Amino acid sequence: MATYDFVFSALGLEEWCDANGGDAAPMSMDALVAQSSGEEQTTSIWELPFPSMDALNEACPAFPQSRALTLGLENGFLNVKDSISVVLDPITQPLSWMLDGALYGVLNTPWWIVIPLILLIVWLVSRSWQLLTFVALSVGGLAFIDYYDYAMQTLAIIMVCAFLCVLLGVPIGIAMSRSDKMRAGTIPILDMLQTLPPFVYLIPLIFLFSVTEPKLYGIAIILYAIVPVIRLTDLGIRMVDETVIEAADAFGMTDRQKLFGVQVPLALPNIMAGVNQTIMMSLAMVVIASLVSAPGLGVLVLRGINNLELGVGLVSGLGIVILAVILDRVTKAALNRINAAQKG
Amino acid sequence: MTDTPENKTKIAIRDLYKIFGDYPESALAAVREGTSKDELLEKHGHVLGLNNINVDVKEGEITVMMGLSGSGKSTLIRHLNRLIDPTAGTVELDGTNIVDLGEDELRRVRREEMSMVFQNFALLPHRTVLENAGMALDVRGQKKDDFEAEARKWLERVGLQGVEDHFPHQLSGGMQQRVGIARALCSNAPVMLMDEAFSALDPLIRTDMQDLLLELQDELRKTVVFISHDLDEALKLADHLVILKDGYVVQQGEPQEILMTPNDPYIVDFISDINRARVLRVRSVMTKTEEAPEEAAGEVDHDATLESLISRSKGETGLTYIVIRDGKQVGVITMAELFKALVPIEASEDGIRANAA
Repeated sequence: MATYDFVFSALGLEEWCDANGGDAAPMSMDALVAQSSGEEQTTSIWELPFPSMDALNEACPAFPQSRALTLGLENGFLNVKDSISVVLDPITQPLSWMLDGALYGVLNTPWWIVIPLILLIVWLVSRSWQLLTFVALSVGGLAFIDYYDYAMQTLAIIMVCAFLCVLLGVPIGIAMSRSDKMRAGTIPILDMLQTLPPFVYLIPLIFLFSVTEPKLYGIAIILYAIVPVIRLTDLGIRMVDETVIEAADAFGMTDRQKLFGVQVPLALPNIMAGVNQTIMMSLAMVVIASLVSAPGLGVLVLRGINNLELGVGLVSGLGIVILAVILDRVTKAALNRINAAQKG
Repeated sequence: MTDTPENKTKIAIRDLYKIFGDYPESALAAVREGTSKDELLEKHGHVLGLNNINVDVKEGEITVMMGLSGSGKSTLIRHLNRLIDPTAGTVELDGTNIVDLGEDELRRVRREEMSMVFQNFALLPHRTVLENAGMALDVRGQKKDDFEAEARKWLERVGLQGVEDHFPHQLSGGMQQRVGIARALCSNAPVMLMDEAFSALDPLIRTDMQDLLLELQDELRKTVVFISHDLDEALKLADHLVILKDGYVVQQGEPQEILMTPNDPYIVDFISDINRARVLRVRSVMTKTEEAPEEAAGEVDHDATLESLISRSKGETGLTYIVIRDGKQVGVITMAELFKALVPIEASEDGIRANAA
């Protein structure tokens, strides 16, 4: 005798319950205890259970238990997974190639080419001697303590993923800024991507792709890090001074001229702020992604946790901080140069 | 600022209505039946922007549309190049209805037929002064090398040299607006729309810019539509003055005519504290006659201001002057007549000033 028997008797569903149920659902612990003790359970009003799936299942064995929901979701995903893979695999294959290529390239180019190249890029982007010195010291320091390979792997992954984030995110942001419907549809997805714990979408990705493939962590990083660049592109274009847009219209600019000649250049400070955030978030994700075979400093952090190697964990964590500071300062320096060139 | 009635109509605005709101069509019927702006907002929740506007903009003239804020003047000028679409009515440019134009045709009109100057300058902040001045040509697909000479020429014409490679934010407001004017002139469009172009400038620079506009106008004879909330500015610039209130035209005509015969308390209020001697001209006050007066103190041009005549007469009230136009007498003016014309028309008791106080 369960609490919600009356629901089914009132609806006249007892026969359906008895006919369909019984053997399908395993007995709950409570029921087993009750059965073995041979006592009829009586529930006071204080212990009234919420009419959840499990409680209803107790009253009527034909009613599904709540674990059927998660199980169903899992089975459903497993059923469609193959067909999804057929589509997603070829589309995402270039990501694997890019990551493989970048990792191969950065590890097989001698350090005396890679480090000056990094310094050259830093100089071109920032034109700041201070920053250049800082980067030289940091990279040199990491190399000196033999963390060069790990740091470069992490950097390579971030560069590929951030590049793809910008490549995909900016057009999506532009599309959002031009259509309110598109914006209304995209914002919930962005909210979800931003709040969903990254571990959660690692799980379906593991089912979809083999763990040995770099695109698995590539996709995880991109999904996690793409949000700011989309949001800030949209925001930046929407914030462009309306009088300037009006002038562009009044002089007969086409939509394309307006977009590339006025809106995107004026939104550039915001877009660059988005790129900065995107790079920072890729860096955060690259550690988590080492759970699914992403190489780099994250692997060392993981090793530190797994083996309780305090020193390794701390030093590699510090290495990530240094990378973060470098990337942040360099992108901010670029942002400042854009701001200086076109303040209002 | 001669009145030449033979000028042909460049832009004809006919029965133009604009209603802001969700269902402008249904509100339009109410407006046509005579619902006022306040009533419309209260009963229908729609804002009446323009109410049955009919204006002829003559070729080669400066038409000034004047009104207080909220009178619909900025809305009206944006209908001329369709930055705003009307609810009903037509705007004809050289006989073609702008309202019916397709996207490509409209773009051609905006590129080649009309240029615009904005209150807040609206220059592109990321482009140099030179690139801004050449914007209209750039939009038409010309390379920088091709439009550079033209842009330089116009920048020089508006009095800007040596700042071609600066960015707009490095210039003062007055200089930025000069760039705005150079940009409009560089498009070489026959029609120039100026939306409160000088309102954001301080008074001295504003006067400079007004002089610049009149000087350019003498030479170029563009069709200028100028929006202003400043009566002195309007009287200085206008060949044809349109006074708007709550979205309808209160009175339009030659500025002198409006000054002498205002037909609405609203306008009386407007003109009650201007310096009439400085704005009124001899031709508006003179008696038309070709007979020579008995005793003439001298000759005066028909377009001279009363102020200049007063200073010539040294305050003598008994004198009579012959009014000359193109070397021929068109009338006579006595100083007594002149002083009568200077008596200000009193602001009405229940007008806007009474309410404001």
